[in-house]
Amino acid sequence: MSSLTMALRLTPYLARSSGSSLRETGLRDAGLPILAFGTVTALLLTVAGGSQVFWSWTDDIAGTYQALAVVAMVLLIIPLLTLGASAARLAARRRDDRLASLRLLGANSATVVWMTVIESTVLAAVGAVAGAGLYACTAPFLGLIQFRGQSIGSHAWLSVPSIAGCILAVCVLAAASAALGLRKVVVTPLGVRTRQTADGAHWVRGLIAAVVVAIGVVAMGMLSSFGAFIVIIAVMGGCFGLALLALNLMGPWILRLRASSQLKRAKGPEQLLAARTVLESPKESWRQVGGVAMTSFVGVFVGVGMAVADTMGTAGDTEATLLVRDINTGVMITLLGSFLMVACSAGVNQAAAVLDRASTLVALDRVGMPRKLMVAARVKAVMSPLFLVAGISAAAAAVLVLPLTGAVLLTRPVVFLTIGGVFAAGFLLVRLAVAAGTAQIGQVLARPERYASVDS
Amino acid sequence: MNAILHAQQLTKHYPGSIALDHVDFTANAGESIAIIGPSGSGKTTLLHCLAGILRPDAGSITLNTPSAPLRLDTLADAALSRLRREEFGFVFQQGMLLPELTAVENVALALMLNGTDRATSESRAAEWLAALGLAGMEQRRLGELSGGQVQRVAIARAQVTGARVVFADEPTGALDSATSTEVLDVLLHSVAANGRTLLVVTHDPQVAARCQRVVELRDGRIVADSAGGVHVPAAPPAQTAAPIHNAADNAAAGNNFKGAFNV
Ligand SMILES: Nc1ncnc2c1ncn2[C@@H]1O[C@H](COP(=O)(O)OP(=O)(O)OP(=O)(O)O)[C@@H](O)[C@H]1O
Ligand SMILES: [Mg+2]
Repeated sequence: MSSLTMALRLTPYLARSSGSSLRETGLRDAGLPILAFGTVTALLLTVAGGSQVFWSWTDDIAGTYQALAVVAMVLLIIPLLTLGASAARLAARRRDDRLASLRLLGANSATVVWMTVIESTVLAAVGAVAGAGLYACTAPFLGLIQFRGQSIGSHAWLSVPSIAGCILAVCVLAAASAALGLRKVVVTPLGVRTRQTADGAHWVRGLIAAVVVAIGVVAMGMLSSFGAFIVIIAVMGGCFGLALLALNLMGPWILRLRASSQLKRAKGPEQLLAARTVLESPKESWRQVGGVAMTSFVGVFVGVGMAVADTMGTAGDTEATLLVRDINTGVMITLLGSFLMVACSAGVNQAAAVLDRASTLVALDRVGMPRKLMVAARVKAVMSPLFLVAGISAAAAAVLVLPLTGAVLLTRPVVFLTIGGVFAAGFLLVRLAVAAGTAQIGQVLARPERYASVDS
Repeated sequence: MNAILHAQQLTKHYPGSIALDHVDFTANAGESIAIIGPSGSGKTTLLHCLAGILRPDAGSITLNTPSAPLRLDTLADAALSRLRREEFGFVFQQGMLLPELTAVENVALALMLNGTDRATSESRAAEWLAALGLAGMEQRRLGELSGGQVQRVAIARAQVTGARVVFADEPTGALDSATSTEVLDVLLHSVAANGRTLLVVTHDPQVAARCQRVVELRDGRIVADSAGGVHVPAAPPAQTAAPIHNAADNAAAGNNFKGAFNV
């Protein structure tokens, strides 16, 4: 029997056999991934619907709008992949206590992978359909958004096939990232818990990133000598890609540096635990908050840049003024969207991480560690890297554009207030999602016997 | 002897089974007590009730503190949690240490939770680790220690706060027999040297043999107590599992530990 057929046969069986516990905790556990996938789908549909109108234009400037819409989608898809992987991990963890019995039933690793992929895909499908419903509810309001001075109106509605396609795409992404995310876990079922050494986040990463940046700077410096427009565009695109690559290389290393210094300075148990959590796997921390780095950078860069453009030499050129305003609208939506994704991902990740070490949490509770502290340490382990990452990227972008913008600061304070407001809302969203994820601690401790290790 | 922990008519039901059936039990200060009995006889349940981890359905548990006697069965959850980290120490088979912390941080954490500053906590933790034979391994993560060494870290964690009662549930259950003996030595000697009370749940006759007192449970009742004087209900005659050493043996063997601990 192939692993897939075995998995297909076992999945419903396990769902039935664990009937009562599924009713008690399963639905609650499943709520978070469904919510996350729902949000993501609604967001994707909203961005697609909001930008749909661009594709109906045929004039000169339409190309610019279309390109920007694609950039926005790309910026959102990366956090979506992370979210898929987190949701898969959560699905795997929910099964954890039953993995052993599965093995006894003769299931091999492939079967376990398939089962998790199936479960994760089903959750994604449920969430995606709910998300589509949410999108349908918000579309009338979406229609009120203005681009080029006109509200999009009925253009906010996507065709049914596009919606179905989007749902399908979310399911496929969920399945793919579940399979990828799980490979490691399955190779050694205990690998996650018994990891011998902390994840490396070597200084070599910093070095490689510096080299990458240097190459980019040199290429940008030579830009004007390239002549052909298409080459210039290609080089600029390449540099943007290099910047993202550098960011991804450097991210974990920076988080590790910062956590090491926090570890040294830690006074109370909360700081100690939070710093150690990040140090345990800087890459994991980075995966959770990295999505914000990119959008913060783009958000501040474009937002401030556009404000400058707005005040300079565009007088009388209504089309350019509108483009500037529209880009601002788009950037803010993308920035919020990216925070929303990071929030979903952080919430789901926390829930998975809590289940990951449920037996340790039970033991720590028994030896008298306050629950508040367990939660506080986890919250800190997410929020502290988030602030750092958002702060560094926003500052980097600001350094690049501010020399141009001294005056703007005074004439257009609204731009800065808007950006600041979006960041504040984003942080709040992530904080709420982490609270939802860590609420799982209460559920674990309420049923210690389900998670306690063999002896106690 | 003066009682430190006193339980009366402890009863705990689970759906379909009775885990503790009107148990009376008193632990005296400085005693080492083994709790033995077949699987499912209620050993863990008794330990958890006495330690304020589980709430009994009926009966009372009193901890005699220097100030006033405390009723564990009526204390609020938060107060119980605090009591567990301040008055008690625990050694489980596994799970109570954090794999992402170093050995010394794991031990120091217990002190930090009670409000001791980090530097003091870590230096005291290091003293404990050294006294338990782990000098030089302070900065290792748990994954870099052997099973026996990890249990020594747990033993240090259980006592670094000055706990007056140490609860252990199958502390050597996951170890081979040679390592078990070593870890057990460390546990018994360090507890005795510091005048603490030890309650250890065990399946291992060797462990029971080395405690001053052995209490045997069966079907949620105490059916034998080597201290005597325990009202054994209509059950098979009491039979202690093994000879019981007297206190002096352990105290003598524990002498080399004394200097190290000034908790
Ligand atoms: N959470 C629970 N839910 C239902 N029944 C339980 C629970 N915990 C313990 N029991 C039951 O209570 C009885 C006593 O359990 P306990 O864990 O105290 O036994 P034990 O003596 O520690 O056994 P072992 O030596 O196997 O650890 C058993 O019949 C057990 O099935
Ligand atoms: Mg037990």
